[in-house]
Amino acid sequence: MTTKALGAVIAAMAVLVGGLAAQAQGPIRIGASLSLTGTYAKLGKNQHEGYKLCEKDLNAKGGLLGRKVEFVVYDDQSTPATAVRLYEKLITEDMVDGVMGPYSSPVTEASANVTEKYKKVMVAPLAATTSIFKRPPDKKRYYVFMVISPAEVYLEGLIDMAAKRGLKTVAVVNEDTLFSKAAAAGAVDIVKKKGMQVVFQEAYPKGNTDFAALLTKVKSLNPDVIAAATYFDDAVALTRQMRELDVSPKAYGVTVGGDLPEFYDTLKANAEYVYGATQWEHVLPYPGNNEFFGAYKKEFGHEPSYHSAAGYAGCLIYAEAVKRAGTLDADRVREQLLKLEMRTVFGDYKVDQDGFQVAHRMVTFQWQEGKKVVVWPDEMAPAKPRFPTPPWNQR
Amino acid sequence: MNVFVTPAMLAQVVVSGILSGALYAMVALGLALIFGVMRIINVAHGPLLMLGAYTTYFLYSALGLNPYLTVPVSMLVLFAVGVLLERTLVFRVVDAPELSSLLLTFGISIALVNLAQLLFTSDLRSVEYLTGSWVVGPVALSKPRLVAFVFAGALTGLAFLFLRRTKLGKAIRATSQSREVAMVCGIDVQRIHLITFGLAAALAAAGGALIAVIVAIQPEMGQIWTFKSFLVIVLGGAGNYPGALLGGILLGLIEQVASLFLTTQLSEVVAYVLLVVVLLVRPTGLLGGRET
Amino acid sequence: MIRRRAALAALAAVVAGLAAYPGFASGYGVRATLQIFMWIVLAGSWNLISGLTGYVSFGHVAFFGAGAYTGAILVAKVGWPWLPAALAGGVAAVLLALVIGYPCLRLKGPYFAIALLGLNEVLRALVSYFEGLTGGGNGLSLPTLDATIPIYYAMGASAASVTLGTYVIITSRFGLRLMTIREDEVASEAMGIDTARHKLYAFLLSAAGPGIVGALTARDQGYIEPISVFPLATTITMIVMVLLGGKGTVWGPVLGAVVLFVAQEVVWTRYPYVHPLLFGAIIVAVVLLMPRGVLGLLQSRYRLPRTI
Repeated sequence: MTTKALGAVIAAMAVLVGGLAAQAQGPIRIGASLSLTGTYAKLGKNQHEGYKLCEKDLNAKGGLLGRKVEFVVYDDQSTPATAVRLYEKLITEDMVDGVMGPYSSPVTEASANVTEKYKKVMVAPLAATTSIFKRPPDKKRYYVFMVISPAEVYLEGLIDMAAKRGLKTVAVVNEDTLFSKAAAAGAVDIVKKKGMQVVFQEAYPKGNTDFAALLTKVKSLNPDVIAAATYFDDAVALTRQMRELDVSPKAYGVTVGGDLPEFYDTLKANAEYVYGATQWEHVLPYPGNNEFFGAYKKEFGHEPSYHSAAGYAGCLIYAEAVKRAGTLDADRVREQLLKLEMRTVFGDYKVDQDGFQVAHRMVTFQWQEGKKVVVWPDEMAPAKPRFPTPPWNQR
Repeated sequence: MNVFVTPAMLAQVVVSGILSGALYAMVALGLALIFGVMRIINVAHGPLLMLGAYTTYFLYSALGLNPYLTVPVSMLVLFAVGVLLERTLVFRVVDAPELSSLLLTFGISIALVNLAQLLFTSDLRSVEYLTGSWVVGPVALSKPRLVAFVFAGALTGLAFLFLRRTKLGKAIRATSQSREVAMVCGIDVQRIHLITFGLAAALAAAGGALIAVIVAIQPEMGQIWTFKSFLVIVLGGAGNYPGALLGGILLGLIEQVASLFLTTQLSEVVAYVLLVVVLLVRPTGLLGGRET
Repeated sequence: MIRRRAALAALAAVVAGLAAYPGFASGYGVRATLQIFMWIVLAGSWNLISGLTGYVSFGHVAFFGAGAYTGAILVAKVGWPWLPAALAGGVAAVLLALVIGYPCLRLKGPYFAIALLGLNEVLRALVSYFEGLTGGGNGLSLPTLDATIPIYYAMGASAASVTLGTYVIITSRFGLRLMTIREDEVASEAMGIDTARHKLYAFLLSAAGPGIVGALTARDQGYIEPISVFPLATTITMIVMVLLGGKGTVWGPVLGAVVLFVAQEVVWTRYPYVHPLLFGAIIVAVVLLMPRGVLGLLQSRYRLPRTI
């Protein structure tokens, strides 16, 4: 070998070794843009705590690929445009090794464009909108992965139970935002599939708190079921006004918000009999659920919501895929995520070719005597629903 | 989806509209006062309402007080806050072009909301005190909204009495009509400004305290009230105090009736389109207000 | 003379640097700078109507949103390429300005501000309502396209055009008449200036920029929804930028946009939970302490030319 060639080889080896050494020593940095202020602040914070607990647990067990795990988190103020910029920052300036998803469907939808551009795998634990994952062939996405059940099945439990008990007419109301619209559309589909009839469907603007006119219309049609795709504020206002206007369907369910302890604290007896859907409850028989609940409560001083659990599980799922791939390389990790079948504290994980979640099951619960009792699906339900919901004046 | 509307349904909706309209009127009256007396557009009105709601919430949950008893307390607290804000910040933009007051109050508004998020967290809260309704014929009167209506009506009535009958009230109206003449007459205009802003904050706080029993309390709850107060003032005429009352009720009615005949989503559009139409056709408001 | 040559040379250097920037910057750097260009266009356009004529447009983001939706619909549903779609966005915004400017510019001060605010909300609500076209609350998603660098140049060109345009207007008689209207509208009428027409022209010009960059932003983000393209916060931010830099000047909006954007980026990274508070404090400080902005202050202290 000539001296020049030898020199080149030595230089190359030095760079390689130096690079490897740098790699081996530094922590694995995972970036995320989360909604720490703005509309989604409370839930974004829960997700952040889920990530933090996952980081802690991973490091306690020796880290990932022999390195410590470190989260780098920015606040996108619940705005998609900011999240887009922040993910660019994380990927191109902070040079993070991996990314995890943000809070909410609109923010995830916008951010996915960035992660796809740079071919970074993104496990998006709090995106429930099908259209983020199922796209027409010219817009297909390869690197986003879903963890929670899609919005369309939130009201499935309610409708299924109603159908089994011979109910016929359904009124669907929803907030006019991405998630709620998808939940409502899904509900309408399921109603039709079960041979029931949608007698009323109306959307209301975000922030609306007076449903008098809406409920007056609903009441005049006297539906058996009211399926409401809501968040918290509107769920509370709707329930209270149903009582005031004496709207008494045989079954009434809400989506997001109905599962928060505040829902019962706020409504007290008026929350009884209300059905809600949740991606996760800490009483469900998933492995490590109790430990997670206890550790979270100890670390952060309050109970985890499903957003916390989803964040925690999403991070673990990503870590598992990295472990199995043996590398952080996006395409390898992606292969693993497509094949992976895993049960975490959050439930089952398995995705189809589009990264769309197919194994996770939602549960429907009912507020019974101040407690959330899981009533659907039957195989996970320890109790029966209290059916039908008695009219207000008979309670 | 269109539903066949019966007279009973219409009656129900009209009643609901009037009930919510009174609240709009009371809160907007505060805004009207600030605009009429100080020529300032107070974008921070919503956050003041929010603080009133939180005051009631904390008194209720810490001391178990009947939330309706906390209304005067909330009003006093926010009166003080209003006076403080005026004394330190707002007084500087009283004579400035409207851009300055718009921006200043906007800055105060986002600072207050963020402060609330830091101090109280974004956790959703509500006061569970009164639910259900009294049924009169085909119409169900929501209990908390009816009580709010009564309070709002009483407070607005008291405010009018104050403006009409008391010396201070007359001084406020005089300043509202012409600051220069008021000064010539020996009225301490600075003091009037302080009191007006405090009074407006108190009225907003009362609104907040009353709706604390009805809606979920969170730091951003006030934003929509700022918008609605603007609508009311445009409808009723800026600087026209009885106009605020009319405008409030009108807004409440329009919202509910539009929701009934169209959809709830469209009722939002209707309200804003009305705002623009009124501004173009009769910018001084339906009852006639101030030119500028 | 020499100072002027030096200034022009410096300007040329900056422009050259910005043109070469994408060659060596990170993806984030390009995107951040592109967004600064966007703010320059927004602030500069607002300055054209509100800085020069004194008519405070408190709903100016409506033009941004209108352009965004026009551009997005043309790209996603009709299949146009993004550049013509962006220009169409500008046209749509100008048409909107024509329709609302004609009646609204007759309103005085605070009424004009509130009317524009109301209009912004009407537009947002209408966009939400006409779901079939706009996707409503679901938002609108564009086909995937990595065009960040071409869009960077398009935004840069827009920013340069707005700044240049402002210079041309301020140094022209048209601009002088606009400022006369700002100082005393009644006197201007008395002097024989057709105030209605002048105000309308300024308003139309001020809508074009936001319309174009709205469409460019929609393409760049790949997804828009009503709440994110019609927010009041955007209007406020563009106003604060102009105020900070100097209302009614050429470079004021540019200065304000750059300073505020960079400040926000730096602040956010350090203090995630309190930045709205800090932003509010900045607004209050600017309004109370520097109502004429940096350039306004320099203009009176150091007798800088009016055309700066």
